[in-house]
Amino acid sequence: MHSDLSVRNLVVNYGPVRALHGVSFDVPEGQVAALVGSNGAGKSTILKSICGLLKPIEGEIRVGDKIMSPRPGDPLRHGVALSPEGRRLFGRLSVEENLMMGAYTVRDKAARDQMLDRVFVYFPKLKERRRQMAGSLSGGEQQMCAIGRALMVQPRVLLLDEPSLGIAPIIVAELATIIQEISRDLSMTVLLVEQNAQMALSIAETGVVLETGKVVLTGTGHELLASPEVRAAYLGT
Amino acid sequence: MSFLIAQSLINGIILGTLYLLMAIGFTLAFGVMRIVNFAHGEFYMIGAFCALIGVTWLGLPFPVTLALTIAVAILFGALVERVVFRPFRNDELSGMIASLGLAMILQHGALILFGPDPQAFPAIVTGVFKWGSLIVPKSRALALGIGIVILLIFYLFLMHTRHGRALRALVQDQEIAAVFGVRLEIMYALGLGFGVALAAVAGGLMAPLFGVSPFIGATPLLKAFIVVILGGLGSIPGAALAAILLGLIESFTSSFVSASAADIVTFALVIVVLLVRPAGLLGRAET
Repeated sequence: MHSDLSVRNLVVNYGPVRALHGVSFDVPEGQVAALVGSNGAGKSTILKSICGLLKPIEGEIRVGDKIMSPRPGDPLRHGVALSPEGRRLFGRLSVEENLMMGAYTVRDKAARDQMLDRVFVYFPKLKERRRQMAGSLSGGEQQMCAIGRALMVQPRVLLLDEPSLGIAPIIVAELATIIQEISRDLSMTVLLVEQNAQMALSIAETGVVLETGKVVLTGTGHELLASPEVRAAYLGT
Repeated sequence: MSFLIAQSLINGIILGTLYLLMAIGFTLAFGVMRIVNFAHGEFYMIGAFCALIGVTWLGLPFPVTLALTIAVAILFGALVERVVFRPFRNDELSGMIASLGLAMILQHGALILFGPDPQAFPAIVTGVFKWGSLIVPKSRALALGIGIVILLIFYLFLMHTRHGRALRALVQDQEIAAVFGVRLEIMYALGLGFGVALAAVAGGLMAPLFGVSPFIGATPLLKAFIVVILGGLGSIPGAALAAILLGLIESFTSSFVSASAADIVTFALVIVVLLVRPAGLLGRAET
């Protein structure tokens, strides 16, 4: 199967500090891939680089056969959408307006409305609260809104940064199921970045384990879940 | 007595509309650039001179003059954003000082071009509306009417169009707005352009009522400040409430006490509100 998202030898610095030391991995088309690792391993740095918010020193990011340029907005045009860490909704815009901001670059109104309906099918709560300010939603609902906002461009690659952060376990399980469904129904490639390795690996076809800016293990989600290193380091068993 | 009350009410609302035009432009520029723009009052002054030039030198009708003023102001604002403010992005202190410098350049430029004396503005409309003992000069009613229409149009743009929504989103989180394809370079220029246009239109509307000179920008700037702080930074309903409140307090105090008492009362009110509600009337505390 050919890979939809491919990260090659990515090197990123934060000022004088090297955050990524040549990271490479591939995500096959239509699959869910989990990027796990502890705090500060460089997971969010990878996502920020993919969507153009950080400029890598070296390396290359491809979506399909297109090389992404490190400018925010450019990866979006090639079908990459982000649900950022901490959700970062536009708190004083309504839920519907937040979703519409996701489709800001979609000029075709019919396509926007169709996607809005689809987002409401996955997240019926958002439909109930569509007129409410996004800042007044509960944590779980905000996360749904952030994922919905990213879905609105009908991305080819969906990047999810820590969707389980600060959310009740029962909602995390619900989100995990929905993420799987979305990937399957829309044959969307999903890169899921998580500290909650258990959740991420259990729904991922591919897993990548990151430690201090390097890839230390790759495998299928189930292989990694079963691996003693992963269990000891991230699952506490 | 009831006549005086009604008269003060109308004058207060006219003042409030002026303050609101100023305050919304000021907030918009602050939200988009994160810079306290001390040159905002000078844009009011430039608007007044644009109107003066249009009406007296070029002999254009007032509505055409106002439309041209808006167009010139948007372009000028975009230019100022690019040349003066963009180099100081993410450097609020230097940006603020740059805006002070810009204010001086604009004011002294006007002084060189037009001299220090107040210039009379020919009456746009004459006559009065009369309801019983209540008298409203038509010139004031006109300024009020146009001001409200412009505020409404701007409000509709901001709340119900794609670009207006993008502008509001950008004020809240520039990075995320950029990730979703909002072109920051264009929106910065547009944001300041609209802010300048709102100030300029206020200047153009008030020029026939209050006259024109290079020094007229200081008071509206101060009032915009007060309205924004009083209403709560970034809150448009708050600004609207504060602007009308401020206009009414000024006009009532001037009518019933004295004009100099108006400023004292205004500032006393600001201090009290900030003591009781530090985030302003409708503002929310930073989280």
